[in-house]
Amino acid sequence: MLTVDAVTVRFGELRAVDGASLEVGDGERVAILGPSGSGKSTLLRAIAGLEKLENGRILWDGVDLAGVPPHERRFGFMFQGYALFPHMTVGENVAFGLRMQGRDAAEIRSRVAQVLEWVGLAGFDHRTVDNLSGGEQQRVALARTLAPDPRLVMLDEPLGALDRALRERLIVEMTDLLARAGTTALYVTHDHDEAAFFAHRVALMRQGRIVQIGKMEELRRNPADDWVADFLG
Amino acid sequence: MTPRRAIWAAAALPLLFIGYLFLYPLIRILWLGISELQLADLLAERRIARVAWFTLWQAAASTGLTLLLAAPLTWAVSRYEFPGRRLAQALVIVPFVLPTVVVGTAFAALGWRDSVWAILAAHVFYNVAVVVRTVGGMWARLDRKVEEAAATLGASPWRVFRTVTLPILRPAIIAAASIVFLFTFTSFGTVLILGGFRYSTIEVEIYRQAVTLFDLPMAAALSIGQMVAVTTLLAVYARRQERTASPLVLAPEASTRRRPEGRTAWAVAVSVVATLTALFVPPAVLVYRAAADGGFRRLFVDEPVLGRPLDAVPTSLSFAVAATAVAVVVGMCAAYVISRRGSRLSQVFDVVLMLPLGTSAVTIGFGFLIALDWPIDLRATVALVPLAHALVAVPFVVRATVPLMRSIHPSVREAAAMLGASPGRVFRYIDLPIVARAALVGAGFAFVVSLGEFGATAFIARPNTVTIPVMIFRLLGRPGLGNFAAAMALATVLGAVTAAAIMIMDRFRSTDLGTF
Repeated sequence: MLTVDAVTVRFGELRAVDGASLEVGDGERVAILGPSGSGKSTLLRAIAGLEKLENGRILWDGVDLAGVPPHERRFGFMFQGYALFPHMTVGENVAFGLRMQGRDAAEIRSRVAQVLEWVGLAGFDHRTVDNLSGGEQQRVALARTLAPDPRLVMLDEPLGALDRALRERLIVEMTDLLARAGTTALYVTHDHDEAAFFAHRVALMRQGRIVQIGKMEELRRNPADDWVADFLG
Repeated sequence: MTPRRAIWAAAALPLLFIGYLFLYPLIRILWLGISELQLADLLAERRIARVAWFTLWQAAASTGLTLLLAAPLTWAVSRYEFPGRRLAQALVIVPFVLPTVVVGTAFAALGWRDSVWAILAAHVFYNVAVVVRTVGGMWARLDRKVEEAAATLGASPWRVFRTVTLPILRPAIIAAASIVFLFTFTSFGTVLILGGFRYSTIEVEIYRQAVTLFDLPMAAALSIGQMVAVTTLLAVYARRQERTASPLVLAPEASTRRRPEGRTAWAVAVSVVATLTALFVPPAVLVYRAAADGGFRRLFVDEPVLGRPLDAVPTSLSFAVAATAVAVVVGMCAAYVISRRGSRLSQVFDVVLMLPLGTSAVTIGFGFLIALDWPIDLRATVALVPLAHALVAVPFVVRATVPLMRSIHPSVREAAAMLGASPGRVFRYIDLPIVARAALVGAGFAFVVSLGEFGATAFIARPNTVTIPVMIFRLLGRPGLGNFAAAMALATVLGAVTAAAIMIMDRFRSTDLGTF
């Protein structure tokens, strides 16, 4: 279980995240929804260990993660724009996390094949990443994130760069995949429909603060304030 | 975001390297120059004033002559398309990559020693490439329509050139002139070989005061003066570069080149053939005379004082390998720090690691000579020369690798970290493979720089650490035609090895590294 306890991240004068608290249970999928600049990506990066906390704590199963560097947290992170390794093939990209864990070659090969199959890219192992379409890149990034079996998967606007039709198809596939695996997941987006479809619960963020958390229908029915009502339409 | 601990770990080696081999000797020079010398002494020395004046005017004259003599070729290769244009552009670079000692010896082989003209000619020979590349690079992309517009408004070809072309090219011309001025202002090997005792730049004078007259405080004071002058020149150049970065009427290169016709074709042909012939003569005479005077045989013969000239070759090659290894390791660590933007250390490194490039080699050698007896007497070890070469070469490695390391989006490294890669492994699996080719190019530069390095080595070479350039210089200083022939032969060998190294490197060169 992930516990975010009163976390503040500061960039100079700006409090990008301002006392945010949040809990994500095992197997739960939570979306962080908010307009651009609301601090949702920064919160995600803070959980990953990529941003320094000014204040507050991040815990996994009750253990404080302060002092645990990103590469030892065993969290998966899918970046906006995917951040694929340009000098590696699709297969090498997906295998990277497994190599870092020191798995043996045969195991890596079968796991890579399995994960590529999940995302519908079976047989893409030897393709170079710069010849892929946007949708294919997205799938490689997802496969790469899932391959080492992280205890928490974080997705930062994973469909942001794609066109509408593709997004609608991929959100279904992705949600299905994570639901079947029972993966604990955090999903950052500015799109209500994506959030509603993907997540069990939605955390609404505004100006660095989490203003309301709950099921999407609850938020729509009982908005905490005028801004929430307005934002959710 | 790279953890600060990782950045500091990578920074430790370059900091120690630059701190001990560059900044600390510099401080010793400053201390020596300021504490033991009365400024009045310096000013009272008529010779010093003469040297300063000569340094200035020969640099100005060399710059002017280079611009003038390089203009026809620059015009031809940037404005016209003709068979052999690419070859001409490649050939003109050759003199620029030749070690200064080789150029000096080549002009000495022409029988031009002890004269101002020899110095000026050698400087022009060396720097034509700077003008062709810097000015030509811009000229080739200047849209012809601009000139045509002026012509339709009634301007004669000459007036078009004077009122349109020249003003547009001005920033490039000034940039080229600044670079040539800086190179010739700090010219050492060429002047030392061709100038005899009569002509001395500040660089040569530092060497004379320190090595021949053993007046260390005077040499230190001159070094300080030289540093101030060079720093000022670089600062002025940088300011100008900033201000003249104006938007321009640029077109893709291919579209601006034409096939020359009629009289123009003749002018193009004469410009190219005459310039290339002039550049071809000195090295050709060097090789011819080295062979004709029996120089190559002399390389195997024991000279009573200097030993066997050829023995300098293995020394130079092993030093070059060692210096390259050190420069690559230190340079890559530094590039790692510089490419992590956002940390203050990155900005500091960006400037500090380039300092050896803007410092005269003689100052570096002099600094080694007076400072590196602490904490152990490093001067007595064979490590001294390779370390000096590595210091001079590090900026080349940094410049070759930083642009590529910077081009790696931070999220790519973060993605690797999130997949379980420690900072060390991020470097190993992400940075290293991506910059490998560029690092190889940097290593090639380091190797070539080490092979040809003369200014610093001249100060610190000992009988058992005589490199090829130092051996050439010593042979030139010994009486007898045989020694002169051996010097020419050794210069031929050095030129050939350098050219070979450059050609091999060119094959690995995927990115444009900028001009200089």
